[in-house]
Parts: sequence; C-alpha cells; structure tokens
Amino acid sequence: MSVLTSGEFWAFVGVVAGIYTLFTLGLQVQFGLAGLLNFGQVGFMAIGAYTMAILVAKEGWSMWVATPVAIAAAALAGVLVGLPTLRLRGDYFAIVTIAFSEIVRWVATNENGLTGGAQGTINLAGQGTAAQYNGQWERFQRWVGAQLHVGDKDVVMLILVWTAALLLVWLTARLARTPWGRVLRAIREDEDATASLGKHVLAYRLQALALGAALAGLAGCVYAWQFSFFSPDDYQPLITFFGWMILILGGVGRVWAVPVGALVFGFLFAATRFFDFAPFSYLDSADRAYVRLMLIGLVIILLVVFRPQGLLGRRDEMVLE
Amino acid sequence: MSALLEVRGVSKAFAGIRAVDDASLVVEVGSITALIGPNGAGKSTLFNCISGFVRADAGRIELSGQRIDRRPPHRIVRAGLGRTFQTARALTRMTVLDNVRLAAPAHPGERLWGVVARRAASRRRELEVTEQAHELLRLVRLDGHANALSGTLSGGQRKLLDLARILMAAPRLILLDEPVAGVAPALREELLAHVLGLRADRGLSFLIVEHDLGFVMQASDRVVVMNEGRVLVEGTPDEVRNDERVIDAYLGTAG
Repeated sequence: MSVLTSGEFWAFVGVVAGIYTLFTLGLQVQFGLAGLLNFGQVGFMAIGAYTMAILVAKEGWSMWVATPVAIAAAALAGVLVGLPTLRLRGDYFAIVTIAFSEIVRWVATNENGLTGGAQGTINLAGQGTAAQYNGQWERFQRWVGAQLHVGDKDVVMLILVWTAALLLVWLTARLARTPWGRVLRAIREDEDATASLGKHVLAYRLQALALGAALAGLAGCVYAWQFSFFSPDDYQPLITFFGWMILILGGVGRVWAVPVGALVFGFLFAATRFFDFAPFSYLDSADRAYVRLMLIGLVIILLVVFRPQGLLGRRDEMVLE
Repeated sequence: MSALLEVRGVSKAFAGIRAVDDASLVVEVGSITALIGPNGAGKSTLFNCISGFVRADAGRIELSGQRIDRRPPHRIVRAGLGRTFQTARALTRMTVLDNVRLAAPAHPGERLWGVVARRAASRRRELEVTEQAHELLRLVRLDGHANALSGTLSGGQRKLLDLARILMAAPRLILLDEPVAGVAPALREELLAHVLGLRADRGLSFLIVEHDLGFVMQASDRVVVMNEGRVLVEGTPDEVRNDERVIDAYLGTAG
C-alpha cells in the first residue's frame, strides 16, 4: 500500500503545513501589509527555536516561560536587524536580511558551547548526555489527547498546530483591517507620501518586522517540539523561500490566503515525493526529491503568468498604477 | 501680519552643485505665497528642505517660531505644515476614502497598543475621522468615488484627492508643488477656487510652486522668485511681473 493512503503521513503533512502557516503569516505581515522584502525569515525561526531549547535544556526553565521569551527574542532580533537597515531601499534591505539569517545559522553551527554546534540540540548539555527540551511539551500533548479522547499523538499535534495557526491568522486579519493596518498598507504603497501625512514610517516598519519575526519565532518553537531535535542545517535559506512560495501561491496581502497556500504547498511538496507512478517511477526517490522542487517551481511560474494575484488575491489590485 | 513660515539662509548642495544657495523667504499668516523661477532654480529642493524630505546643509526654518529644520517629515506635518507632491501620490491599491482617513492625526487606532487596549477610543475616533473624510471628499467632489480604489481615478481627480488628504492632516500651512501642472482648464479653475476658498473659510496659508504664471498672478498675494538657487526678488505679483531681473531670469540673459 502506498504511503499516500496512510493517515499518519497526511497528519504529518498537515502539521508541517501548519508550521509553514505560522512562518508565512509573518512574511504576510512584513511584505503583504508593509512591503518589507524579508529574505531572512528563517533566521528569526532559528532564534525562536534555539532560545526555547537552550533555556529549557540548559537552564532548566519551564517551557511555558521559555516559549514567550523565545518569541520575544525573535521579535527583538527583528528590531535589532531593522533599526540600522530599514532606511535602506527595498532590495538592499532584502540582501541584509538574507545575510542575517546566514549569520544566525553559522553562529549556531560554530558556537558549540551555546547551541550544541553542528550536531544540533542533542549536544546542548555537553558531550555524553543526550539533551532534551520537549518533555514538558509531550506531557502537555498527552494531556490534550486525553481531554479530547484522541489517542494518536500526530493528530493531537495537528489539532494544536492548526488551532494556534488559525487563531493567529484570524487575529492578523483583524489587525490588518484596523487603522494600524491601513498605515502599513499605505507604507507599502508609497513611503514618502505616507510620511508626508504625518506617519512615522520607520516605527511602523519596525513593528511589522518584529511582529513577523515573532511569528517565525513561534513557528521555530513548534518545529522544535514536532521533531524533538534540530540542528543548524534545518535553517537553510531555502526555508525562507518556501515561505515566499506559499505567500505567492496563496496571494500577497490576503491574510487568509496564507493557510490555503501552506496547505497546497504542503501537499504538493510532501506528496510528490511519494508519487510511484509513471513518469515519476522512472526515477529513484532521491531524484524525485528534486523533481518535486521543479514541479513547485513550475506551478509558481504558471501561477505568476496566469494568476499573478495568487489563489485568493484580488486581480483588480494588480493592474493599478 | 506675522510670519507663519520663516526660511533663513537655507543652502543645500548635491555633489558640489548648490541647488539652494542662501535662500530666505517668509510666508505670512493667511497669505498665499507663490514660489516661481525657471527650471533648476532650486524651488523643489527648497520645498523638500522645508518639508523635511531633504536636510539642509545650512540655515534655519521656523514654523510659528518653532524650529523645524532638523525634524523628520512626519513631525513637520504634525507641527502644522503639510505638502503635496508634483505628481499626485494616490495610494492606488487603497480606496479613496482610506487615502483620506489615513491622514487623520492623533488616531489611537493607528497604534498597536491602541488597537489592543483602547478599542472604544479608537472606534470613536475612526467614526469621527470617517465622517470628516466624507466631508472633505464632498468638498472636492470626489464623494461618489469614496469606495473606489484610488488607482481608478484620473490624474486630475488624484490632484483633488491629494488636496483632500492633506486637509485631513489639519495643517495651517500647505505647500503645493505644481498644483495645476498638466491639469485641464476646468480643473485649474476648480483648484484655484479651492485654494482661495480654503484661505477664506479656514484661514489656511499656502506656499505654491507653480510654472503657470496666470495661476500664480490670480492666486497669490506675494511672489518669491528664485534663480540658480538664490532668491532673486520678492514682492506683490505686480511688482514681480514688471521687474527687469525676473524677465532676464526667465528669458535667460546668459543665453
């Protein structure tokens, strides 16, 4: 029987899509609302995950305290990256953010004492002891499972991730409709015109960057719990671009398009790996892993050509000058 | 009369070229002052210095006696000095109404903290702002387009939108950058009537850069002429019209 018919597999795909929803929601706030080209979102995700894991595994903090601190650390990193660079033109800012995320990854790779180095979080407590940061999370997961009478751990995770994701999407969508969201959209359109109407452009951009970074930080924590172990290699720049693919797939500027894009992406990405019919069967599974990237690339090219506003975007907004 | 805006000895160079060279001018309370001069005279740069988009190398700019020349643009607007741009800057993917509402000052709903913790106050302010925005759109006769995306407006309508929008920011002095450039004759008359009407009804003052000398003569009570970065002449429209130096500057004595 193919893996495509296994419930466990689809629950896994759903959890990953939920994590990508949180991750890309941050990009939607930054780019969709405020027009910030952040190509280093994965760096904020790494900061969230590492802060949580280090505080729990090394410092013995409660997960319930460490997680908010980790999210705040990601937001603070957003402010620190943004303060000197947000005055730069859009494309320069984009380059700085990608450099930032690579710096985070390389620091995590080389600071063995702080992060466990290239071997990842297993090494957090030093050589010889297998460090672990998600005992409390697994107890919480079991407790939720018992309350809901759901036995399957993956299904519980699916419920938890999507509850958080949909709640935050809803809150973000509400925030986008406030006067605060209106200022962000205005900055996306024309920052000088917005400044000439009395708005402090830099302050709003910092807020958008920090909020988006906080969402990436949360995505990092959830990712860490789901996989119970991670290493710097999990935070390759490619992850950021997966987020961008989701954003373009769903629709830039449409908050509710994020979960839709993440689900479509998640299914495309995970399922294509297990396509065992022709022509995919001509290739071994390692090669198929690359074919799926080509397929997703093709879908995005077709989308940009025939439906540039994304699955849920508004066409009329695309044609205005 | 007292000075509302006072520009003293402002200079600004770009890569060694003195775009504005020791320029001084005064806009009296309740006046409509025009700033004219040939292309490259430094009018736009001076405008940008006054509105904070360009930082002057030297000089002093005061609004009602308050120094504003070291402030960023958004704080200059809040101090009461608004500006428009040479080409209308409609925020095209936002509705006409949102363009105007955006400019409202002191809106608690524009702060994250206000959105979360001062919801009643921000809702109240939003209602107030919406009503005022509709009024301003009626004034410039764009109320029929309130819910259209502003990108669907024509060039002339965008000029009117710019005017309504800056009025929402409640400035005392408005800097208009070529308000009637490329505008149809009927709209030109409409804009002239708005400028005169806003001064009469709301006591607003204007500083206007404009190449259309007919408009300048009809609208303004003071004219400042710039040439090569310097203020050449200042006077009433009649005085300026007959000044030899102005005629030379426009016709170009140097050839």
